[in-house]
Amino acid sequence: MFSERERERYNRQMLLFGDEGQERLKKAHIFIAGAGGLGSPVSLYLAVAGIGTITLVDTDVVDRTNLNRQILHFDRDIGRKKTDSAKEKLQEINPDITIHAIDVKIDETNAADLVGEADGIVDALDNYPARYLLNEVAIEEEIPLFHGGIHGFYGQATTIIPGTTPCLKCIFPKPPPQEVFPVVGVTAGIIGTAQANEVLKYLLGIGEMLTGRLFIWDGVQSHADEICMERNPACEACGGMAKKTPGRKKNER
Amino acid sequence: MSVKIRFFARFRELLGSDIMTDVAAGTMFTPLITTVARKNPEGYIAIFDEKGDFREFVILMKNGKRIDIADAAKTPVTDGDEIAVFPPVAGG
Repeated sequence: MFSERERERYNRQMLLFGDEGQERLKKAHIFIAGAGGLGSPVSLYLAVAGIGTITLVDTDVVDRTNLNRQILHFDRDIGRKKTDSAKEKLQEINPDITIHAIDVKIDETNAADLVGEADGIVDALDNYPARYLLNEVAIEEEIPLFHGGIHGFYGQATTIIPGTTPCLKCIFPKPPPQEVFPVVGVTAGIIGTAQANEVLKYLLGIGEMLTGRLFIWDGVQSHADEICMERNPACEACGGMAKKTPGRKKNER
Repeated sequence: MSVKIRFFARFRELLGSDIMTDVAAGTMFTPLITTVARKNPEGYIAIFDEKGDFREFVILMKNGKRIDIADAAKTPVTDGDEIAVFPPVAGG
């Protein structure tokens, strides 16, 4: 059921997918790992779309060097916990949803507990070791992992449905070295909104997902490519998983 | 014969995008990419290690199929191949 305020707020999108679609969004719980460059557009767009529960995890403090791209955080937030800054903005932009902002570093001891009963995981991280942990949780829980990565004017995104599509380790078996990466805010905006779009389509059950395809954005040429990806039967993360027909275990409960 | 090499992300920044190149029949993957990458020392270092092997994170594809970097030195390219070379993009 929706309040009058919710009906007004979501009016323009309920024209697209009706009460039923909006109800799906309201019932959904999405886990967003990272409240930085990608986490900002992902969480803002999922919040305004009316995702009922958003869990956002980050352990950093807002630094001035973040502000060219991390649009959840303002100049006045420098020195604040990103989780505090993020929760405040998201709750202000949509008071009708629940935001859990958790100030913790994701590691192998807590990753599964943090994700909990979420319906999907958004990868808005800046390193592969932590991404691989979320990939494992996604496989274990059989929930989708919405991957994104950015560098300079370049970005990539793909949607991983465990058992159906290649997992992150099938696509990228080895991590690149960690670095201070150059980036412009618009790249984070393009890739982050692509990830948020995937989350909405997944929850609504509409359209073609970015599954088995790596979307590659080149902002210098304003050119998008996609590269088809296949599961690796010998993958150390998902190789043992039987092929599944696409489904949503969590949503079917 | 001729093949097309497509670099993506950081590799594209350093080496350019769609590179058409003529190669002799029987040319293997590794020497082909080595020759092209050498045009920019920074591009070469981004893709190859000090022993001249592909860095372990580099993704190689030939006509949409993955080539294991361990097999790249003994995998020949053929006329008309489209080869993709890219790193995992890590920033967020």
